Amino acid sequence: MMGRTIFIDPGRCIGCQACVSACRECDSHRGKSMIHLDYSDPGQSVASLPTVCMHCEDPVAPCAEVCPADAILVTADGVVQQADTTRCIGCANCVNACPFGVPKIDLQAKLQMKCNLCYDRTAYGLAPMCATVCPTGALFYGTLEELQAERPGVQVADSFAFGDVVVSTGVAMVVPADKVQWPVPGGLPVVEVNGVDVR
Amino acid sequence: MSEPTEVRAAAPPRPPGAPEPAPPAGRSVAARATLAGTAVSLLLITAIVLGSRLLRDFDSALLPYAVATVFLAFGVAYRYTVWVSAPGARRLFKKGFGSFFSAANFKKAPTALPRMITTYLGFQKFLGARSRARWAAHQLIFWGCLLAAAITFPLTWGWFTFTSGSGSGPGYEMRIWGIKVLGFNSLNILGWLMFHGLDIAAVLVIPGASYFLWRRMKDRGAITGQRFAYDLLPLICLIVISVTGLLLTFSSIFLHGGGYEFLAILHMVSVVFTLIYIPFGKFFHIVQRPAAVGMQLFKYTARQDEQVFACKRCGEPIDTTPYVENLRGTMRDLRLDFNAFVEYCPRCKRILRGNAYLTHVKKGFK
Repeated sequence: MMGRTIFIDPGRCIGCQACVSACRECDSHRGKSMIHLDYSDPGQSVASLPTVCMHCEDPVAPCAEVCPADAILVTADGVVQQADTTRCIGCANCVNACPFGVPKIDLQAKLQMKCNLCYDRTAYGLAPMCATVCPTGALFYGTLEELQAERPGVQVADSFAFGDVVVSTGVAMVVPADKVQWPVPGGLPVVEVNGVDVR
Repeated sequence: MSEPTEVRAAAPPRPPGAPEPAPPAGRSVAARATLAGTAVSLLLITAIVLGSRLLRDFDSALLPYAVATVFLAFGVAYRYTVWVSAPGARRLFKKGFGSFFSAANFKKAPTALPRMITTYLGFQKFLGARSRARWAAHQLIFWGCLLAAAITFPLTWGWFTFTSGSGSGPGYEMRIWGIKVLGFNSLNILGWLMFHGLDIAAVLVIPGASYFLWRRMKDRGAITGQRFAYDLLPLICLIVISVTGLLLTFSSIFLHGGGYEFLAILHMVSVVFTLIYIPFGKFFHIVQRPAAVGMQLFKYTARQDEQVFACKRCGEPIDTTPYVENLRGTMRDLRLDFNAFVEYCPRCKRILRGNAYLTHVKKGFK
Protein backbone atom coordinates (compact mmCIF):
# COMPACT_ATOMS: atom_id res chain seq x y z
CA MET A 1 0.00 0.00 0.00
CA MET A 2 1.41 3.33 -1.05
CA GLY A 3 2.30 5.66 1.77
CA ARG A 4 4.74 8.52 1.54
CA THR A 5 6.86 7.59 -1.46
CA ILE A 6 8.42 8.81 -4.71
CA PHE A 7 6.22 9.28 -7.76
CA ILE A 8 8.11 9.28 -11.06
CA ASP A 9 6.78 11.11 -14.09
CA PRO A 10 9.19 10.58 -17.00
CA GLY A 11 7.06 12.95 -19.09
CA ARG A 12 8.24 15.84 -16.91
CA CYS A 13 11.93 14.85 -16.89
CA ILE A 14 14.17 17.24 -18.82
CA GLY A 15 17.36 15.23 -18.24
CA CYS A 16 19.04 18.07 -16.32
CA GLN A 17 20.89 15.67 -13.98
CA ALA A 18 20.08 17.74 -10.89
CA CYS A 19 18.84 14.54 -9.21
CA VAL A 20 22.08 12.74 -10.08
CA SER A 21 24.15 15.50 -8.47
CA ALA A 22 21.92 15.79 -5.42
CA CYS A 23 21.98 12.02 -4.88
CA ARG A 24 25.76 12.22 -4.44
CA GLU A 25 25.19 14.39 -1.39
CA CYS A 26 23.19 11.74 0.45
CA ASP A 27 24.97 10.81 3.67
CA SER A 28 24.48 7.08 3.27
CA HIS A 29 26.52 6.91 0.03
CA ARG A 30 28.41 10.17 -0.05
CA GLY A 31 30.18 10.97 -3.34
CA LYS A 32 28.37 8.29 -5.32
CA SER A 33 25.09 8.83 -7.09
CA MET A 34 22.62 5.99 -6.89
CA ILE A 35 19.99 7.39 -9.24
CA HIS A 36 20.10 6.43 -12.92
CA LEU A 37 19.18 8.89 -15.63
CA ASP A 38 18.95 7.21 -19.02
CA TYR A 39 18.34 8.71 -22.42
CA SER A 40 16.35 6.17 -24.35
CA ASP A 41 17.22 7.29 -27.85
CA PRO A 42 20.02 9.85 -27.69
CA GLY A 43 20.34 12.02 -30.77
CA GLN A 44 16.79 11.21 -31.86
CA SER A 45 14.74 12.04 -28.79
CA VAL A 46 15.13 14.21 -25.71
CA ALA A 47 13.20 11.65 -23.67
CA SER A 48 14.94 10.73 -20.45
CA LEU A 49 14.02 8.32 -17.69
CA PRO A 50 15.07 8.71 -14.06
CA THR A 51 15.26 5.42 -12.17
CA VAL A 52 15.34 5.13 -8.41
CA CYS A 53 14.94 1.88 -6.47
CA MET A 54 11.31 0.84 -6.85
CA HIS A 55 11.31 -0.89 -3.41
CA CYS A 56 9.52 -3.99 -4.68
CA GLU A 57 6.72 -5.22 -2.44
CA ASP A 58 5.42 -8.31 -4.25
CA PRO A 59 7.57 -10.30 -4.78
CA VAL A 60 9.27 -8.53 -1.93
CA ALA A 61 12.70 -7.25 -2.93
CA PRO A 62 13.94 -9.81 -5.51
CA CYS A 63 17.43 -8.36 -4.96
CA ALA A 64 17.25 -9.44 -1.32
CA GLU A 65 15.79 -12.83 -2.18
CA VAL A 66 18.67 -13.77 -4.49
CA CYS A 67 21.32 -12.42 -2.11
CA PRO A 68 23.33 -15.40 -0.86
CA ALA A 69 24.64 -13.47 2.13
CA ASP A 70 21.34 -12.05 3.45
CA ALA A 71 22.96 -8.66 3.02
CA ILE A 72 19.95 -6.69 1.79
CA LEU A 73 17.53 -5.92 4.57
CA VAL A 74 14.04 -4.47 4.34
CA THR A 75 12.71 -2.12 6.99
CA ALA A 76 9.18 -2.51 8.31
CA ASP A 77 8.17 0.60 6.36
CA GLY A 78 8.97 -1.27 3.12
CA VAL A 79 12.25 0.44 2.29
CA VAL A 80 14.75 -1.96 0.72
CA GLN A 81 18.07 -0.92 2.18
CA GLN A 82 21.39 -1.03 0.41
CA ALA A 83 23.64 -4.00 1.20
CA ASP A 84 24.94 -4.33 4.73
CA THR A 85 28.67 -3.67 4.38
CA THR A 86 29.55 -6.49 6.76
CA ARG A 87 27.64 -9.10 4.84
CA CYS A 88 27.88 -8.10 1.17
CA ILE A 89 30.32 -10.30 -0.75
CA GLY A 90 30.06 -8.44 -4.04
CA CYS A 91 28.64 -11.38 -6.00
CA ALA A 92 26.41 -9.07 -8.12
CA ASN A 93 23.37 -11.36 -7.85
CA CYS A 94 21.21 -8.38 -6.86
CA VAL A 95 22.60 -6.23 -9.68
CA ASN A 96 21.64 -8.75 -12.32
CA ALA A 97 18.41 -10.04 -10.80
CA CYS A 98 16.79 -6.63 -10.31
CA PRO A 99 14.24 -6.27 -13.12
CA PHE A 100 14.53 -2.48 -12.94
CA GLY A 101 18.34 -2.42 -13.30
CA VAL A 102 18.82 -0.47 -10.08
CA PRO A 103 21.68 -1.75 -7.86
CA LYS A 104 25.25 -0.73 -8.59
CA ILE A 105 28.36 -2.63 -7.61
CA ASP A 106 31.92 -1.67 -6.74
CA LEU A 107 33.89 -4.76 -7.73
CA GLN A 108 37.08 -3.60 -5.99
CA ALA A 109 35.26 -2.97 -2.73
CA LYS A 110 33.06 -6.04 -3.28
CA LEU A 111 30.09 -3.97 -2.26
CA GLN A 112 26.65 -3.36 -3.68
CA MET A 113 25.11 0.08 -3.38
CA LYS A 114 21.65 1.24 -4.27
CA CYS A 115 19.05 3.90 -3.68
CA ASN A 116 17.69 3.53 -0.15
CA LEU A 117 15.12 6.29 -0.51
CA CYS A 118 17.60 8.57 1.31
CA TYR A 119 16.76 6.72 4.51
CA ASP A 120 18.80 9.15 6.59
CA ARG A 121 16.28 11.80 5.50
CA THR A 122 13.00 10.00 4.83
CA ALA A 123 13.12 8.20 8.20
CA TYR A 124 12.84 11.68 9.74
CA GLY A 125 10.13 12.97 7.39
CA LEU A 126 12.38 14.81 4.94
CA ALA A 127 12.13 14.30 1.18
CA PRO A 128 14.88 12.36 -0.63
CA MET A 129 17.63 14.44 -2.21
CA CYS A 130 16.51 13.75 -5.80
CA ALA A 131 12.90 14.82 -5.23
CA THR A 132 14.04 17.88 -3.28
CA VAL A 133 16.01 19.31 -6.20
CA CYS A 134 14.00 18.11 -9.23
CA PRO A 135 12.99 21.39 -10.95
CA THR A 136 10.08 19.94 -12.95
CA GLY A 137 8.46 17.58 -10.48
CA ALA A 138 9.45 14.49 -12.45
CA LEU A 139 10.39 13.10 -9.05
CA PHE A 140 7.75 13.92 -6.45
CA TYR A 141 7.91 12.80 -2.82
CA GLY A 142 4.78 12.64 -0.72
CA THR A 143 1.50 10.79 -0.47
CA LEU A 144 -0.82 10.12 -3.41
CA GLU A 145 -3.26 12.63 -1.92
CA GLU A 146 -0.55 15.30 -1.83
CA LEU A 147 0.35 14.54 -5.45
CA GLN A 148 -3.27 14.69 -6.55
CA ALA A 149 -3.84 17.93 -4.63
CA GLU A 150 -0.95 19.46 -6.52
CA ARG A 151 -1.80 17.85 -9.88
CA PRO A 152 -5.57 17.35 -10.08
CA GLY A 153 -6.64 14.26 -12.01
CA VAL A 154 -3.21 12.66 -12.06
CA GLN A 155 -3.13 8.85 -11.95
CA VAL A 156 -0.34 6.55 -10.84
CA ALA A 157 0.53 2.86 -11.18
CA ASP A 158 2.58 0.76 -8.79
CA SER A 159 2.72 -2.52 -10.69
CA PHE A 160 4.96 -3.50 -13.57
CA ALA A 161 4.67 -6.42 -15.97
CA PHE A 162 7.75 -8.46 -16.87
CA GLY A 163 6.31 -11.02 -19.25
CA ASP A 164 3.72 -12.92 -17.24
CA VAL A 165 5.06 -11.70 -13.92
CA VAL A 166 3.65 -8.61 -12.25
CA VAL A 167 5.86 -6.85 -9.74
CA SER A 168 4.21 -4.47 -7.25
CA THR A 169 6.38 -1.70 -5.96
CA GLY A 170 6.54 0.87 -3.20
CA VAL A 171 7.52 3.60 -5.65
CA ALA A 172 4.94 4.52 -8.29
CA MET A 173 4.90 6.01 -11.79
CA VAL A 174 2.56 8.58 -13.23
CA VAL A 175 0.41 7.11 -16.02
CA PRO A 176 -2.43 8.35 -18.22
CA ALA A 177 -5.90 7.80 -16.72
CA ASP A 178 -6.79 5.05 -19.21
CA LYS A 179 -3.66 3.02 -18.31
CA VAL A 180 -4.10 3.03 -14.57
CA GLN A 181 -5.80 -0.37 -14.35
CA TRP A 182 -2.95 -2.11 -16.14
CA PRO A 183 0.56 -2.86 -14.97
CA VAL A 184 3.16 -0.65 -16.60
CA PRO A 185 5.16 -2.71 -19.15
CA GLY A 186 8.60 -3.46 -17.73
CA GLY A 187 10.29 -4.25 -21.05
CA LEU A 188 9.88 -8.04 -21.03
CA PRO A 189 9.37 -10.03 -23.19
CA VAL A 190 11.94 -8.42 -25.41
CA VAL A 191 10.54 -8.46 -28.93
CA GLU A 192 13.23 -6.59 -30.78
CA VAL A 193 16.91 -5.99 -30.18
CA ASN A 194 18.78 -3.44 -32.25
CA GLY A 195 16.20 -3.67 -35.05
CA VAL A 196 16.21 -7.46 -35.09
CA ASP A 197 13.06 -9.36 -34.16
CA VAL A 198 14.01 -11.75 -31.35
CA ARG A 199 10.57 -13.28 -30.74
CA MET B 1 13.42 4.64 11.76
CA SER B 2 12.38 0.98 11.78
CA GLU B 3 14.54 -2.10 12.23
CA PRO B 4 15.64 -3.84 9.01
CA THR B 5 14.72 -7.48 8.59
CA GLU B 6 15.94 -10.24 6.31
CA VAL B 7 13.89 -11.31 3.31
CA ARG B 8 12.73 -14.85 2.74
CA ALA B 9 10.71 -15.95 -0.26
CA ALA B 10 7.05 -16.60 0.44
CA ALA B 11 5.62 -20.00 -0.49
CA PRO B 12 3.78 -19.92 -3.82
CA PRO B 13 -0.04 -20.11 -3.61
CA ARG B 14 -1.60 -23.58 -3.87
CA PRO B 15 -4.03 -23.99 -6.76
CA PRO B 16 -7.53 -25.18 -5.86
CA GLY B 17 -7.78 -28.95 -5.66
CA ALA B 18 -4.03 -29.46 -5.43
CA PRO B 19 -2.82 -32.16 -3.00
CA GLU B 20 -1.85 -31.25 0.54
CA PRO B 21 1.67 -29.83 0.45
CA ALA B 22 4.63 -31.46 2.19
CA PRO B 23 5.44 -30.15 5.68
CA PRO B 24 6.69 -26.57 5.49
CA ALA B 25 10.34 -26.25 4.50
CA GLY B 26 10.95 -24.21 7.63
CA ARG B 27 10.24 -27.21 9.87
CA SER B 28 12.60 -29.54 8.03
CA VAL B 29 15.27 -26.86 7.92
CA ALA B 30 14.93 -26.35 11.67
CA ALA B 31 15.16 -30.11 12.21
CA ARG B 32 18.26 -30.38 10.01
CA ALA B 33 19.82 -27.37 11.70
CA THR B 34 19.17 -28.83 15.16
CA LEU B 35 20.69 -32.12 14.03
CA ALA B 36 23.76 -30.37 12.61
CA GLY B 37 24.14 -28.26 15.76
CA THR B 38 23.84 -31.29 18.03
CA ALA B 39 26.31 -33.32 15.92
CA VAL B 40 28.91 -30.54 15.90
CA SER B 41 28.50 -29.94 19.65
CA LEU B 42 28.93 -33.65 20.41
CA LEU B 43 31.96 -33.75 18.13
CA LEU B 44 33.49 -30.81 20.00
CA ILE B 45 32.79 -32.38 23.41
CA THR B 46 34.46 -35.59 22.20
CA ALA B 47 37.42 -33.60 20.89
CA ILE B 48 37.71 -31.78 24.24
CA VAL B 49 37.63 -35.03 26.20
CA LEU B 50 40.15 -36.78 23.93
CA GLY B 51 42.37 -33.72 23.36
CA SER B 52 42.66 -33.07 27.09
CA ARG B 53 43.75 -36.70 27.60
CA LEU B 54 40.44 -37.73 29.18
CA LEU B 55 40.22 -34.40 31.03
CA ARG B 56 43.59 -34.86 32.77
CA ASP B 57 44.83 -31.60 31.18
CA PHE B 58 41.45 -29.86 31.44
CA ASP B 59 41.58 -26.74 33.60
CA SER B 60 38.32 -26.68 35.55
CA ALA B 61 38.72 -22.94 36.18
CA LEU B 62 38.09 -22.50 32.47
CA LEU B 63 34.95 -24.65 32.43
CA PRO B 64 32.51 -21.75 31.71
CA TYR B 65 34.58 -20.83 28.65
CA ALA B 66 34.59 -24.44 27.41
CA VAL B 67 30.83 -24.73 27.90
CA ALA B 68 30.35 -21.47 25.99
CA THR B 69 32.37 -22.84 23.06
CA VAL B 70 30.05 -25.87 22.94
CA PHE B 71 27.06 -23.51 22.75
CA LEU B 72 28.97 -21.53 20.13
CA ALA B 73 29.52 -24.68 18.07
CA PHE B 74 25.81 -25.52 18.27
CA GLY B 75 24.75 -22.00 17.32
CA VAL B 76 27.18 -21.69 14.43
CA ALA B 77 26.24 -25.08 12.96
CA TYR B 78 22.52 -24.30 13.42
CA ARG B 79 22.65 -20.88 11.80
CA TYR B 80 24.99 -22.06 9.03
CA THR B 81 22.58 -24.86 8.13
CA VAL B 82 19.64 -22.44 8.06
CA TRP B 83 21.70 -20.00 6.01
CA VAL B 84 22.78 -22.50 3.33
CA SER B 85 19.20 -23.79 3.05
CA ALA B 86 18.03 -20.58 1.33
CA PRO B 87 18.19 -20.87 -2.49
CA GLY B 88 20.77 -18.13 -3.07
CA ALA B 89 23.12 -19.28 -0.34
CA ARG B 90 22.66 -22.97 -1.21
CA ARG B 91 23.88 -22.38 -4.75
CA LEU B 92 26.72 -20.16 -3.55
CA PHE B 93 27.71 -22.85 -1.10
CA LYS B 94 27.60 -25.64 -3.70
CA LYS B 95 29.31 -23.72 -6.51
CA GLY B 96 31.75 -22.09 -4.13
CA PHE B 97 32.92 -25.22 -2.39
CA GLY B 98 32.75 -27.14 -5.70
CA SER B 99 35.32 -24.68 -7.10
CA PHE B 100 37.22 -24.71 -3.82
CA PHE B 101 37.83 -28.47 -3.92
CA SER B 102 38.00 -28.88 -7.71
CA ALA B 103 41.18 -30.67 -8.85
CA ALA B 104 40.67 -29.26 -12.37
CA ASN B 105 40.61 -25.70 -11.00
CA PHE B 106 43.71 -26.41 -8.95
CA LYS B 107 45.55 -27.67 -12.04
CA LYS B 108 44.43 -24.66 -14.09
CA ALA B 109 45.28 -22.01 -11.53
CA PRO B 110 47.23 -23.51 -8.62
CA THR B 111 48.04 -20.15 -7.05
CA ALA B 112 44.55 -18.66 -7.33
CA LEU B 113 43.11 -20.19 -4.17
CA PRO B 114 46.01 -19.42 -1.79
CA ARG B 115 46.21 -15.91 -3.25
CA MET B 116 42.49 -15.30 -2.72
CA ILE B 117 42.59 -16.70 0.82
CA THR B 118 45.52 -14.41 1.63
CA THR B 119 44.25 -11.23 0.00
CA TYR B 120 40.51 -11.71 0.62
CA LEU B 121 40.30 -13.45 3.99
CA GLY B 122 43.65 -12.47 5.50
CA PHE B 123 44.45 -8.95 4.35
CA GLN B 124 40.90 -8.07 3.24
CA LYS B 125 42.04 -5.94 0.32
CA PHE B 126 38.44 -5.16 -0.59
CA LEU B 127 38.02 -3.24 2.66
CA GLY B 128 40.88 -0.97 1.60
CA ALA B 129 38.84 -0.08 -1.49
CA ARG B 130 35.97 0.95 0.80
CA SER B 131 38.06 3.05 3.18
CA ARG B 132 41.70 2.87 4.29
CA ALA B 133 40.88 3.81 7.87
CA ARG B 134 38.23 1.10 8.11
CA TRP B 135 40.63 -1.39 6.56
CA ALA B 136 43.33 -0.57 9.12
CA ALA B 137 40.88 -0.75 12.03
CA HIS B 138 39.43 -4.04 10.77
CA GLN B 139 42.90 -5.52 10.35
CA LEU B 140 43.69 -4.67 13.96
CA ILE B 141 40.50 -6.35 15.15
CA PHE B 142 40.95 -9.32 12.82
CA TRP B 143 44.53 -10.18 13.79
CA GLY B 144 43.85 -9.44 17.44
CA CYS B 145 40.82 -11.75 17.53
CA LEU B 146 42.62 -14.43 15.53
CA LEU B 147 45.52 -14.37 17.96
CA ALA B 148 43.19 -14.45 20.97
CA ALA B 149 41.17 -17.33 19.50
CA ALA B 150 44.31 -19.31 18.64
CA ILE B 151 45.44 -19.02 22.28
CA THR B 152 42.24 -19.29 24.26
CA PHE B 153 40.25 -21.94 22.45
CA PRO B 154 42.88 -24.71 22.78
CA LEU B 155 43.62 -23.56 26.34
CA THR B 156 40.00 -23.78 27.46
CA TRP B 157 39.64 -27.17 25.79
CA GLY B 158 42.69 -28.47 27.65
CA TRP B 159 44.59 -29.02 24.41
CA PHE B 160 47.46 -26.68 25.32
CA THR B 161 49.25 -27.14 28.61
CA PHE B 162 52.26 -25.38 30.04
CA THR B 163 54.39 -27.31 32.53
CA SER B 164 57.59 -26.58 34.36
CA GLY B 165 59.67 -28.72 36.60
CA SER B 166 61.47 -25.76 38.18
CA GLY B 167 59.01 -22.87 38.59
CA SER B 168 59.57 -19.80 36.43
CA GLY B 169 62.70 -19.60 34.33
CA PRO B 170 64.15 -22.24 32.02
CA GLY B 171 62.54 -25.62 31.64
CA TYR B 172 59.08 -24.44 30.65
CA GLU B 173 57.34 -26.75 28.24
CA MET B 174 54.40 -26.23 25.97
CA ARG B 175 52.44 -29.37 25.17
CA ILE B 176 49.68 -29.94 22.66
CA TRP B 177 47.49 -32.97 23.38
CA GLY B 178 50.12 -34.00 25.91
CA ILE B 179 52.96 -33.98 23.39
CA LYS B 180 55.83 -31.58 23.99
CA VAL B 181 56.16 -29.13 21.08
CA LEU B 182 58.25 -26.35 22.59
CA GLY B 183 60.68 -25.84 25.45
CA PHE B 184 61.50 -22.29 26.52
CA ASN B 185 62.65 -20.01 29.28
CA SER B 186 59.62 -18.25 30.73
CA LEU B 187 61.74 -15.20 31.62
CA ASN B 188 63.14 -14.52 28.14
CA ILE B 189 61.45 -12.72 25.25
CA LEU B 190 59.77 -15.87 23.90
CA GLY B 191 58.40 -16.61 27.36
CA TRP B 192 57.13 -13.04 27.69
CA LEU B 193 55.40 -13.25 24.32
CA MET B 194 53.88 -16.62 25.19
CA PHE B 195 52.39 -15.35 28.42
CA HIS B 196 51.31 -11.96 27.10
CA GLY B 197 49.76 -13.10 23.83
CA LEU B 198 46.30 -12.11 25.01
CA ASP B 199 47.53 -8.70 26.16
CA ILE B 200 48.98 -8.14 22.69
CA ALA B 201 45.66 -9.22 21.17
CA ALA B 202 43.83 -6.74 23.44
CA VAL B 203 46.20 -3.93 22.45
CA LEU B 204 45.40 -4.67 18.79
CA VAL B 205 41.63 -4.94 19.27
CA ILE B 206 41.04 -1.86 21.47
CA PRO B 207 42.09 0.83 18.94
CA GLY B 208 40.34 -0.98 16.06
CA ALA B 209 37.04 -1.46 17.90
CA SER B 210 37.23 2.07 19.37
CA TYR B 211 37.65 3.56 15.90
CA PHE B 212 34.55 1.72 14.67
CA LEU B 213 32.59 2.75 17.75
CA TRP B 214 33.62 6.39 17.23
CA ARG B 215 32.60 6.11 13.57
CA ARG B 216 29.22 4.67 14.54
CA MET B 217 28.65 7.72 16.73
CA LYS B 218 29.83 10.33 14.23
CA ASP B 219 29.48 9.10 10.62
CA ARG B 220 26.02 9.92 9.33
CA GLY B 221 26.28 7.20 6.69
CA ALA B 222 27.06 4.58 9.33
CA ILE B 223 24.37 5.90 11.64
CA THR B 224 21.69 5.47 8.93
CA GLY B 225 19.75 2.34 9.83
CA GLN B 226 22.21 1.16 12.47
CA ARG B 227 20.89 -1.05 15.24
CA PHE B 228 22.25 -1.22 18.78
CA ALA B 229 22.26 -5.02 19.07
CA TYR B 230 23.68 -5.58 15.60
CA ASP B 231 26.12 -2.72 15.07
CA LEU B 232 27.14 -1.36 18.47
CA LEU B 233 26.94 -4.33 20.83
CA PRO B 234 29.70 -6.36 19.09
CA LEU B 235 32.10 -3.41 19.36
CA ILE B 236 31.24 -2.87 23.02
CA CYS B 237 31.78 -6.60 23.65
CA LEU B 238 35.23 -6.52 22.03
CA ILE B 239 36.26 -3.47 24.03
CA VAL B 240 34.95 -4.86 27.33
CA ILE B 241 36.71 -8.21 26.78
CA SER B 242 39.99 -6.50 25.85
CA VAL B 243 39.93 -3.94 28.65
CA THR B 244 39.01 -6.45 31.37
CA GLY B 245 41.69 -8.81 29.99
CA LEU B 246 44.31 -6.09 30.23
CA LEU B 247 43.11 -5.16 33.72
CA LEU B 248 43.76 -8.75 34.83
CA THR B 249 47.40 -8.34 33.83
CA PHE B 250 47.47 -4.89 35.45
CA SER B 251 46.05 -6.34 38.65
CA SER B 252 48.59 -9.15 38.84
CA ILE B 253 51.61 -6.92 38.06
CA PHE B 254 50.77 -3.66 39.83
CA LEU B 255 48.08 -4.47 42.39
CA HIS B 256 49.46 -7.79 43.62
CA GLY B 257 46.21 -9.43 42.50
CA GLY B 258 43.90 -6.77 43.95
CA GLY B 259 40.43 -7.06 42.46
CA TYR B 260 41.57 -10.01 40.37
CA GLU B 261 38.66 -12.27 41.22
CA PHE B 262 36.08 -9.63 40.38
CA LEU B 263 37.87 -8.77 37.12
CA ALA B 264 38.17 -12.46 36.23
CA ILE B 265 34.42 -12.91 36.62
CA LEU B 266 33.67 -9.74 34.63
CA HIS B 267 36.04 -10.90 31.89
CA MET B 268 34.53 -14.37 31.87
CA VAL B 269 30.96 -13.06 31.67
CA SER B 270 31.84 -10.77 28.74
CA VAL B 271 33.64 -13.56 26.86
CA VAL B 272 30.88 -16.12 27.44
CA PHE B 273 28.21 -13.65 26.33
CA THR B 274 30.17 -12.79 23.19
CA LEU B 275 30.80 -16.43 22.29
CA ILE B 276 27.10 -17.23 22.58
CA TYR B 277 26.22 -14.06 20.62
CA ILE B 278 28.52 -14.89 17.67
CA PRO B 279 26.07 -17.05 15.68
CA PHE B 280 23.20 -14.59 16.02
CA GLY B 281 24.72 -11.20 15.31
CA LYS B 282 27.26 -9.34 13.26
CA PHE B 283 30.07 -11.73 14.17
CA PHE B 284 28.41 -14.41 12.04
CA HIS B 285 30.14 -12.86 9.03
CA ILE B 286 33.35 -14.50 10.35
CA VAL B 287 31.74 -17.87 9.60
CA GLN B 288 30.05 -16.75 6.37
CA ARG B 289 32.99 -15.11 4.62
CA PRO B 290 35.08 -18.17 3.68
CA ALA B 291 32.28 -19.38 1.38
CA ALA B 292 32.69 -16.17 -0.61
CA VAL B 293 36.23 -17.19 -1.58
CA GLY B 294 34.73 -20.17 -3.40
CA MET B 295 32.36 -17.81 -5.21
CA GLN B 296 35.29 -15.61 -6.29
CA LEU B 297 37.11 -18.70 -7.51
CA PHE B 298 33.98 -19.87 -9.35
CA LYS B 299 33.93 -16.62 -11.30
CA TYR B 300 37.71 -16.43 -11.71
CA THR B 301 38.10 -19.88 -13.27
CA ALA B 302 35.24 -19.22 -15.73
CA ARG B 303 36.88 -15.95 -16.74
CA GLN B 304 40.16 -17.81 -17.32
CA ASP B 305 38.24 -20.01 -19.77
CA GLU B 306 36.84 -16.85 -21.39
CA GLN B 307 33.29 -17.89 -20.64
CA VAL B 308 31.95 -14.35 -20.59
CA PHE B 309 28.25 -13.64 -20.99
CA ALA B 310 27.53 -10.48 -22.98
CA CYS B 311 24.37 -8.37 -22.78
CA LYS B 312 22.00 -9.44 -25.55
CA ARG B 313 21.27 -5.84 -26.44
CA CYS B 314 24.47 -3.81 -26.10
CA GLY B 315 27.08 -6.58 -26.06
CA GLU B 316 28.75 -5.34 -22.88
CA PRO B 317 29.96 -8.20 -20.64
CA ILE B 318 27.56 -8.96 -17.77
CA ASP B 319 29.50 -11.68 -15.97
CA THR B 320 30.67 -15.22 -16.63
CA THR B 321 28.33 -17.66 -18.38
CA PRO B 322 28.26 -20.18 -15.50
CA TYR B 323 27.48 -17.32 -13.10
CA VAL B 324 24.54 -16.14 -15.23
CA GLU B 325 23.25 -19.72 -15.41
CA ASN B 326 23.64 -20.06 -11.65
CA LEU B 327 21.74 -16.83 -11.01
CA ARG B 328 18.94 -17.85 -13.35
CA GLY B 329 18.75 -21.16 -11.48
CA THR B 330 18.49 -19.30 -8.17
CA MET B 331 15.69 -17.16 -9.58
CA ARG B 332 13.88 -20.25 -10.87
CA ASP B 333 14.17 -21.78 -7.37
CA LEU B 334 12.62 -18.62 -5.98
CA ARG B 335 9.90 -18.52 -8.68
CA LEU B 336 11.15 -15.16 -9.88
CA ASP B 337 9.94 -15.86 -13.38
CA PHE B 338 11.50 -12.84 -15.02
CA ASN B 339 14.89 -14.56 -14.97
CA ALA B 340 15.21 -14.09 -18.77
CA PHE B 341 15.97 -10.45 -17.97
CA VAL B 342 19.31 -11.54 -16.48
CA GLU B 343 20.57 -11.76 -20.08
CA TYR B 344 20.42 -7.96 -20.31
CA CYS B 345 22.70 -5.53 -18.52
CA PRO B 346 21.14 -3.17 -15.95
CA ARG B 347 21.31 -0.17 -18.29
CA CYS B 348 19.61 -2.04 -21.13
CA LYS B 349 16.89 -3.20 -18.73
CA ARG B 350 16.19 0.42 -17.89
CA ILE B 351 16.24 1.46 -21.55
CA LEU B 352 13.91 -1.39 -22.51
CA ARG B 353 11.51 -0.36 -19.76
CA GLY B 354 11.80 3.32 -20.79
CA ASN B 355 11.06 2.42 -24.41
CA ALA B 356 8.09 0.28 -23.37
CA TYR B 357 6.77 3.25 -21.38
CA LEU B 358 7.27 5.50 -24.42
CA THR B 359 5.55 3.10 -26.77
CA HIS B 360 2.71 1.74 -24.68
CA VAL B 361 2.02 4.08 -21.78
CA LYS B 362 2.68 7.72 -22.43
CA LYS B 363 3.24 8.29 -26.11
CA GLY B 364 3.20 12.07 -25.66
CA PHE B 365 6.34 11.60 -23.58
CA LYS B 366 8.30 11.27 -26.86
